[in-house]
Amino acid sequence: MNLAEGVQIVSFGILAVMMLAAALGVVLLSNIVHSAFLLAGVFLSISGLYILLNGDFVAAAQILIYVGAVNVLILFAIMLVNKQENFSEIPGSKFRKIATAVVCIGLFVLLGTMILVTPWALDSTSPAVIENTIIALGEHFFSDYLLPFELASVLLLMAMVGAIILARRDLIPEIADTTDTVSTRLTLPERPRELTSIGNVEEIN
Amino acid sequence: MDFSSNIASQLNAGTILPEGIVIITLMVILIGDLITGRNSARWLPYVAIAGLLIAVLDLCLLWDLPEPDGFLGSFSSDNLSIVFRGIIALSTAVTIPMSIRYVQQSGTSLAEFIGIMLTATLGGMFLSGANELVTIFISLEMLSISSYLMTGYMKRDPRSNEAALKYLLIGASSSAIFLYGISLLYGLSGGKTNLMAIAANITDVSGTQSLGLAISLVFVIAGIAFKISAVPFHQWTPDVYEGSPTPVVAFLSVGSKAAGFALAIRLLVTAFAPLTEQWHFIFTALAILSMVLGNVVALAQTSMKRMLAYSSIAQAGFVIIGLIAGTDTGYSSMIFYLLVYLFMNLGAFTCVILFSLRTGTDQISEYAGLYHKDPLLTLGLSICLLSLGGIPPLAGFFGKIYLFWAGWQAGIYGLVLLGLVTSVISIYYYIRVVKMMVVKEPSEMSDAVENYPEIRWNLPGMRPLQVGLVVSVVITSLAGILSNPLFTLANDSVTTTPILQSAVVTQQLPQETITVSTQSLESDLDTSH
Repeated sequence: MNLAEGVQIVSFGILAVMMLAAALGVVLLSNIVHSAFLLAGVFLSISGLYILLNGDFVAAAQILIYVGAVNVLILFAIMLVNKQENFSEIPGSKFRKIATAVVCIGLFVLLGTMILVTPWALDSTSPAVIENTIIALGEHFFSDYLLPFELASVLLLMAMVGAIILARRDLIPEIADTTDTVSTRLTLPERPRELTSIGNVEEIN
Repeated sequence: MDFSSNIASQLNAGTILPEGIVIITLMVILIGDLITGRNSARWLPYVAIAGLLIAVLDLCLLWDLPEPDGFLGSFSSDNLSIVFRGIIALSTAVTIPMSIRYVQQSGTSLAEFIGIMLTATLGGMFLSGANELVTIFISLEMLSISSYLMTGYMKRDPRSNEAALKYLLIGASSSAIFLYGISLLYGLSGGKTNLMAIAANITDVSGTQSLGLAISLVFVIAGIAFKISAVPFHQWTPDVYEGSPTPVVAFLSVGSKAAGFALAIRLLVTAFAPLTEQWHFIFTALAILSMVLGNVVALAQTSMKRMLAYSSIAQAGFVIIGLIAGTDTGYSSMIFYLLVYLFMNLGAFTCVILFSLRTGTDQISEYAGLYHKDPLLTLGLSICLLSLGGIPPLAGFFGKIYLFWAGWQAGIYGLVLLGLVTSVISIYYYIRVVKMMVVKEPSEMSDAVENYPEIRWNLPGMRPLQVGLVVSVVITSLAGILSNPLFTLANDSVTTTPILQSAVVTQQLPQETITVSTQSLESDLDTSH
């Protein structure tokens, strides 16, 4: 083992431990702000793993998009909904947590076994062959992945239009006073169902 | 320079011309609305319908292309995908007329609604032809994200908000599971994303790769079953159907479902061809659960939209029978049923929209005595519901018979018998609505029908509703008797599609290999003696 390999193994170990610890923190901590910051830690460790895999552009994009945009957006959302609320303990929550843990550990064991058992067809191309990963990526985008690359633009356009529709301030329309049809103010024309069963329960109580 | 000209000559971009037309229509609508403002509602929907119909026409011209693969194998415009893209485009073309009045009544803007619906259509159309994992995922997300947006379109209605949030959360997790499944496929095939290449590269099926393949199969099926809302991945369906604007429900129940089936056929038949037995087994379970639960729970519903939600779950169960049959007739019976289902289900939704626009309710009990006030609506809704239930001279009967016949021929007797029993149950809850509308005396009328407004078709946006209603009712009642062209279309599309033909062959292969191996065993024994 030469020096480079040793450095790789050690940094992989550090990154993996960092990522696992941060990911466990995201799930287990009760304070949502801490979870959000730890999520940034997870994303950063993943980008470190990409660098170990020689994916320099992907690593940079990971930091820019996930840490810089997605995670900051999550933090903004948390700050805007700055509401302290103590949730009452759900009955049987202990049992639920245990059941969730069992299912998750079972799934982890299954997937772990699968990964260890399967002989993965590893790509034997040496990283030295690809001089510039950006050029390689660009060639893929404009050849065999051209269609999804162009489709993503339509998807993003519509996501933008949709976000504006959901977020913009609408003028609440005047209800036209006609007897011919039902007019509503940005609601469904169907009346909500009357929840009779709940009313009955209250009466009994 | 070399690179670009080299690629451009191989793109074969004509294969996505229909989708290109839809994209241009989408742009015309977005920009036209920007320029002309609120007045645009008078002409925009018709531009959208015209664009979709031109796209369907163009799909007809693409029939039997000598070179169906476009974009270096990312997209396949074979006849199977053409039929499915046609079904999706037609379903939107029928859905738009029924949404004009509905959206305008609620005070929301029409142009954006149609724009989002066209994007969903585009997603579905690309999904039907996508032949490569990245394209599949992007088009699936295009369909899903536009569906979430449309579901939450009635911003001030808590039901719509709840429906959108539920749909988004469950949809996002199902997309994530689906993505994990296809990433396993990518890894197992040694870094291939094209479905054909994946099928060719996964060789060690029964050995060490079997566990990975099985997990990938289960995850992929979870994603697909969410799209076609098969039990047990149906939990979102009733709530989302109840809280969404009704035209959106109509699109989700036909267009989105057809796209899900197109994806199921292509992905399972090509990439998972070695696991045919396993996915048949999983889909048998899904079909049994969907047919039983969908039909039985629909009996107890009081809201029309919820009833149609459970009925659409049950119909998905029927269509899966054709998928499991796995023969030429099986696939063509699926396509035929989806074509017929398009018109009968959209016809039923048009009637529900008309009723709720006039009375402001969709409770089944409020339909009592409607016959005395609105004969056309009663006739249309009765025909569509009876056709959904499978009453003889209507289109739905022939669709179901064809499905069951294909299943029987393929030897899945239990499933076909269960389908027959559950469709008898389904007739009960469809007939209940018809009975409510037709049989009641004038004295038993519900309040909503009592105060029924005068029928005026000349209100803005009502004429397209009327046209949509009449067209779907006429097609529903005649498509059964004059079904020959549709049969031929469905059969041709299956028999001329290479992936399905090779699939039928590979399914017969195992028996031969077994005989070969026993022969070789015998020869081994001979030599050992």
